[in-house]
Amino acid sequence: MMANLLEHMGMEKDRVQFSWISSAEATKFATVAREVAQSVEALGPNTKFVKGSD
Amino acid sequence: MESYIEQIRTLAVDLLKSGKVDVVIGYRRGSVPMATVPFMARTPEQAKQLTWDSHCTLNLANYLTNRQEKIGIIAKGCDSRNIVNHIVENKINRDQLHIIGVPCKGMVNPKELQTLLDDEIISCAETGSTLTIASSQAEIKIEREDHLRNNCSLCTHRNPVIYDDLVGEAVEEPVLDDPFKDVNAIEAMDADEKWNYFDDLLDGCIRCYACRNACPLCYCPTCFVDESDPQWVGKGQNDTDIKTFHFLRAFHCAGRCTDCGACEAACPMDIHVRAFTRKLIKDSKELFGWEAGMDISKRPPLDTFAPDDPNDFIK
Amino acid sequence: MKVIKIDKNKWTKGLDTARESYQLFGPVKIKENHCFAPLKRDQQPDMTVVDTVLSPKSTVFPQTEKLMTATLDTSKPNHHLMERADTDYSPRAVIGIRPFDARAIDLVKLNFDTKDHRDPYWCDAHDATTFVGLAVNTPSQFDFSTSMDSGPFDEKGLDVLLVDMDTGYLAKILTPKGEAFMACAGFNREATAGDLQKMEELKKAAEQAITTQVETDNLREKSLLDLHQAPFWDDVAFSCINCGTCTFVCPTCWCFDIQDETKGNNTTRFRNWDSCMSPLFTLHGSGHNPRGEKTQRVRQRFMHKLKYFLDKYDQGTMCVGCGRCVKSCPVNIDIREVCNVMNAYEPQK
Repeated sequence: MMANLLEHMGMEKDRVQFSWISSAEATKFATVAREVAQSVEALGPNTKFVKGSD
Repeated sequence: MESYIEQIRTLAVDLLKSGKVDVVIGYRRGSVPMATVPFMARTPEQAKQLTWDSHCTLNLANYLTNRQEKIGIIAKGCDSRNIVNHIVENKINRDQLHIIGVPCKGMVNPKELQTLLDDEIISCAETGSTLTIASSQAEIKIEREDHLRNNCSLCTHRNPVIYDDLVGEAVEEPVLDDPFKDVNAIEAMDADEKWNYFDDLLDGCIRCYACRNACPLCYCPTCFVDESDPQWVGKGQNDTDIKTFHFLRAFHCAGRCTDCGACEAACPMDIHVRAFTRKLIKDSKELFGWEAGMDISKRPPLDTFAPDDPNDFIK
Repeated sequence: MKVIKIDKNKWTKGLDTARESYQLFGPVKIKENHCFAPLKRDQQPDMTVVDTVLSPKSTVFPQTEKLMTATLDTSKPNHHLMERADTDYSPRAVIGIRPFDARAIDLVKLNFDTKDHRDPYWCDAHDATTFVGLAVNTPSQFDFSTSMDSGPFDEKGLDVLLVDMDTGYLAKILTPKGEAFMACAGFNREATAGDLQKMEELKKAAEQAITTQVETDNLREKSLLDLHQAPFWDDVAFSCINCGTCTFVCPTCWCFDIQDETKGNNTTRFRNWDSCMSPLFTLHGSGHNPRGEKTQRVRQRFMHKLKYFLDKYDQGTMCVGCGRCVKSCPVNIDIREVCNVMNAYEPQK
């Protein structure tokens, strides 16, 4: 529901991701991390919920 | 309304006289037009000040938190659902309460009424479903039903869900064709439009926290925005900090919000803060089949685990 | 005292001329509500609104105000040294401030500009500002300024008092600052004796239109401790939800909190409006809170406004009767009623 609310407020869907990985699942961790990095890179730098320096 | 008032007073006086309760929490008339004041009657004499009209907009469950005495409390549909929340969350015991349920016909939006007249409203009287509002220059009659607060016009639980006495007859519960039209409209926007929509929505917020304080769900001893060690969120009039406050405050109400509208009634800047909580209400319903505050034997969905909880979001 | 007459069709042009030398502030509509804000180049102040939701105190006391800055960059000679922020204090004028709000700024000055201490931020902003007030011809039902040593045509704290005469304004010049502003705007036609008489009539009518009387005459003699220990505070405070609305909309509430924020190498120290309604306001580092209970906080607000301030400065109460808190309070706690109760209170022997 939190992810939904963030998306509702205008955060891009792929910017916040959830996964459940056991400490024994090294391959899954690596794959997921790569996928997350790729999808976030595709979105470009985040400007939302970033505090300016005023 | 008039008959409601008589019954409320009679019940409250009897409760106090018989010693069944120590106090009765309800509303009394305000000092300005279209205002009621949450009020605690300690004696039968004081209970005669209790009233009821179309301006009982705050949620009385807010006044129950951690009280120790035996309490009689006036409850419309939404108040009763927040009383259920309070009982479930151990903020009050069911045994302490004598709930005087009031079937609700909806509360009006005073700011909307003001737009109907050029000059300021100096009086507002009520007979049946008709309100007579007057300025120094003009007087008009309107129907309550046409000027309800937005949350009241979307309400499908006007009757109290829990009570010991019921004032008057239960009212018919409205059936809505499209209860989440407002949420759907935001969902249809693209990400940047959504972001700008909420930016614009919060323009004008002065961080007085009236929305939080009027909310019966917000009873934390120290709210996350007031925490100083660690400090979760900046304190200035910075857009990101303001949005962070509203986002997290809303999320803390997930699966608990009854859409009572106290937050918006209290906001001095007329900010539509329910735009956040409405999404959570819709998701609670769609993902968990849940409506908050309906049953004292059930805990809210984010407070429990079930093997069939929706988990599509986990990769 | 000089009174000038201004045609309404020359008003806008005059303001535009003044804009070249002054930054103008005025009441403008932001979404559904009116607030005082800096006027944009092509923006005119709305001279019809009597009670903006927020008072114009923000023009000299912004809700968030940068006080000091520092750099953490050790290659700079002044690293880790707080220095006063670079704030623009060039001349500015607040157009359309109502008399009770100007009176409020005068009262707040007693706090920020004392014999011993001068708050440079508030005072520099105040010194840079010309207050061009606008008399209230038709007071709202919430207005009780005449009971609070102010009134719809009160001149205290103002540099110019404008009176709306329908087709034009009469401008009563009260200080050299006011005179300079009017000269800058090019307004110089002297009013006639007939105009002045009409102005007096409007003043009388406006004062009579305020029907709420609040009694303050006994407050000075009352014992502070008697009032502090009075039994009515629990009842006054019951409905209070401790939001800060009353303190935020109040033109005389001046309390603030100071915060430091650092991003990268840049540190900023700024102050924010704070509120005695919040428990955090008085929370000590030890964990002790002298005003931990709601009743104590509600009592503090009324005692400060109506008793402590009066005792300390002997300049009347710290309430100017604008009625904003009465109008904005979500639970209708009415300072007029509380003041009357305090004024009439006799302790049980």
